[in-house]
Amino acid sequence: MAVVQAQLHEERPLSFWRRYIFSLDHKVIGIQYLVTSMAMALVGGLLAMLVRFALGWPEASGLTPASYMSAVTMHGTIMTFFVLSTALTGGFGNFLIPLQIGARDMAYPFLNMVSYWLYPVSLVVLLASYFVPGGPASAGWTAYPPLSVQGGTGQALWLISLAILIIAFLFGSLNYITTVLQLRTKGMSLLRMPLTVWGLFITAILSLLSFPMLLAASIMLLFDLLGGTSFFLPFNIVIDGGQVTAAGGDPLLYQHLFWFLGHPEVYILILPAMGMVSDIMANNARRPIFGYKTMVLSMAAIAVLSFLVWGHHMFVSGMHPLLGTAFMATTLVIAIPSAIKTFHWLATLWRGKLRFTPQMLFSIGFVSVFVTGGLTGLVLGSPALDMYVHDTYFVVAHFHFVMASASLFGIFAGLYHWFPKMFGRKMNERLGRIHFWIALPATYATFFPMHFAGIGGMMRRIYSIEFYDYLARFEGLNQFITIAAFIMGAAHMLFLVNFVWSLKYGERAEANPWQATTLEWETPSPPPHGNFGEELPEVHRWAYDYSVPGATTDYIPQTVSPRPVAAPGP
Amino acid sequence: MHPAPAQVKWDAPSPAFEASWGKVMMWLFLLSDTLTFTGLLGGYGFLRASSQAWPTPEQVFNVNLVGFMTFLLICSSATMAAAVGTARRGETVRTGRLLGLTVLGGLLFLALQAYEWIHFIQAGARLASNPWGVPLFSTTFFVITGFHGLHVTAGVIYLTTVTFRALQGRLDPDGVETAGLYWHFVDLVWVFVFTFMYLI
Amino acid sequence: MAEAGATPPQGPAGTAPQAPGRLGANPYVRTWFWLLVLTILELLVVFLPIPRTLLVVLLVVLAVMKGVLIMAEFMHLRFEKLSFVYSMLSPLLLALALLAGIFPDALNRLP
Repeated sequence: MAVVQAQLHEERPLSFWRRYIFSLDHKVIGIQYLVTSMAMALVGGLLAMLVRFALGWPEASGLTPASYMSAVTMHGTIMTFFVLSTALTGGFGNFLIPLQIGARDMAYPFLNMVSYWLYPVSLVVLLASYFVPGGPASAGWTAYPPLSVQGGTGQALWLISLAILIIAFLFGSLNYITTVLQLRTKGMSLLRMPLTVWGLFITAILSLLSFPMLLAASIMLLFDLLGGTSFFLPFNIVIDGGQVTAAGGDPLLYQHLFWFLGHPEVYILILPAMGMVSDIMANNARRPIFGYKTMVLSMAAIAVLSFLVWGHHMFVSGMHPLLGTAFMATTLVIAIPSAIKTFHWLATLWRGKLRFTPQMLFSIGFVSVFVTGGLTGLVLGSPALDMYVHDTYFVVAHFHFVMASASLFGIFAGLYHWFPKMFGRKMNERLGRIHFWIALPATYATFFPMHFAGIGGMMRRIYSIEFYDYLARFEGLNQFITIAAFIMGAAHMLFLVNFVWSLKYGERAEANPWQATTLEWETPSPPPHGNFGEELPEVHRWAYDYSVPGATTDYIPQTVSPRPVAAPGP
Repeated sequence: MHPAPAQVKWDAPSPAFEASWGKVMMWLFLLSDTLTFTGLLGGYGFLRASSQAWPTPEQVFNVNLVGFMTFLLICSSATMAAAVGTARRGETVRTGRLLGLTVLGGLLFLALQAYEWIHFIQAGARLASNPWGVPLFSTTFFVITGFHGLHVTAGVIYLTTVTFRALQGRLDPDGVETAGLYWHFVDLVWVFVFTFMYLI
Repeated sequence: MAEAGATPPQGPAGTAPQAPGRLGANPYVRTWFWLLVLTILELLVVFLPIPRTLLVVLLVVLAVMKGVLIMAEFMHLRFEKLSFVYSMLSPLLLALALLAGIFPDALNRLP
């Protein structure tokens, strides 16, 4: 804090490098994360378009099976780790947490800056894998051995890049948790924090405790890849016709370790979005979020349970059947808090004075795609059913609904909502609505048919259906999906155009353009260094005083005292 | 750092748990590091349990020497804890001495660990093979003790800087306590590495 | 900054050791002593002619006892707020969950 205090009162302005490149200000760091994530989303999206092109028109696409596999691998890796995680936790986490709890900055701004800069470093390592012999990793984003152990330099770079990113996430989580626990302003008790902060806080705890397992698994995989060891290679394994001198490892161990992270990871991707969407809905319905405490408890329950369900990714791996039953039970249970949250969102909307801003549209869209994806999650949670659809497009449909759609819609909602606070201008609302009304149907058109392909037997990660007679009937379906995907991509390009255009030409925004109650709207748009001027705000109420009966305005900011304005005097 | 007694501990701006930020952050870091070691040690347990044969550690290692290494780390933990106490009381010179003893203990541990590794390598152990028939035996040994050794090394460097700061008169009791937490963690991990890799 | 003479808010962290000869009253010496005892016990247990399962159980129990001593005394958890202790120790349950989750597979692998 001494750093920030000193900078508040600094006479000389900071240099360009220290203001925009190596800034210690959480707002700048948050925007850096967001912009880098958006750039990586373009890369990941391009890879997705290549994959879809290949699936729709294999010969025309010009992709070989090898380059197809690396496109699929890099698409998944980039989107999961380098776009969604970084945008949600790095971008929104950094920007919003100190503002919404009434702090001047994070607990350790220097560590925060280091945690950002590890991200471009990890990107350079990852993208360098395109230029090495053998090309980039192509064993899927899950990098299962033994296949991944056959990878060359590309796979090694993939692992090293992830290790660097994991350290960035760890530093970030340390900062967020400490900041939320220790730096809340006067009156900001934990149960007065907006759900956005709760989502980000719980996510930081998940991150802290789950990423280490991927680090351990990556270390072991790197030794297998580069050191000739066999943590994950069993005895007498035969690869490419030749027996490998491997000794006594087990690929199943990797799967256990990977998914111990892998499952909490997907909740890391959805919880911040859930928090943000809750706040945006309350704001645009002019109603308090229904059941605030239950929402908090549900998020906590989801977080705890998320550590106990990892085996549902392994139902057909040959793991012990007892574990199959155990993980089925926990997986079905974790649906309950998610369902509770869904009903609470709907109840928040009920009888609200709805304002259909783009962020509200995307929030409602979030609920829609989340429910769709969640329902198929129930199917996948039963080993009896999963046995049939595992590794098919049914799974692909499921996770694209909950991640590529729900998390992504959450990010869009957040960007439309907080753009004015970040940049002092509003995004174009009309273009935002067009973005939504094309994106939502296009999303459904892209991912919903995949369920049918999956149940019909179309496997994941295959280069082309033309090698399988029984899949020939899905040719038209795949082409339909490809076209829908391109339309969806085009809609998201509209967002990008809107974003960039509004940075320069957007309508200037006042401090509180959405008449919202949380603390960040009590500062100018964008907030100055140190966020709140000389005095930190004091909080007197929760974040959801919308349409309070008897009040003169339809919202009461958190800083407004509960007592009516008293007569002056001692 | 000391809130008014009337304030509830979860209410801002009193820090949660009434602990300094550095302490909370170090504990959080230790939690995540615990899980990394759990992954590695759990993996080791899995691989060993699923192996047909596995050499008995007492027949390969000098368990008494390793016992002495354990004793060294315990001693250095004790001197570290004492250093935290003297730092709180502002006794700069004593703190510097106790910290120095801790660093010495860490360095001796590393030296003995290096001696053990050299001995093991001379007996034929390599990363991916060894004369006792189960390649993973030496693999897991090197990876796990190596990872722990890296942590000890980092701790020695960390504590050396804290020692110098203390001796230069810039004693920070909270900083010493935070460093102490890291050092005790390293000792704690060794307790389990010792048990699972050398005794069982 | 050196807090010369300031009494810390918690635990005997600030308790000065008693006069020489009364080292037993120093909590760090006491902890060190018991850790030493437990380590020696561990080394002895290895050479007892007991069934392997019992050996493993005994060694794990001894290790956990050492761990608890280190956490409670050296890392001061005994003197921290209960909420802090619970917050810091509950993730260890996750470590146990991982071990429980991989354990059935570990014991049932094909050669």
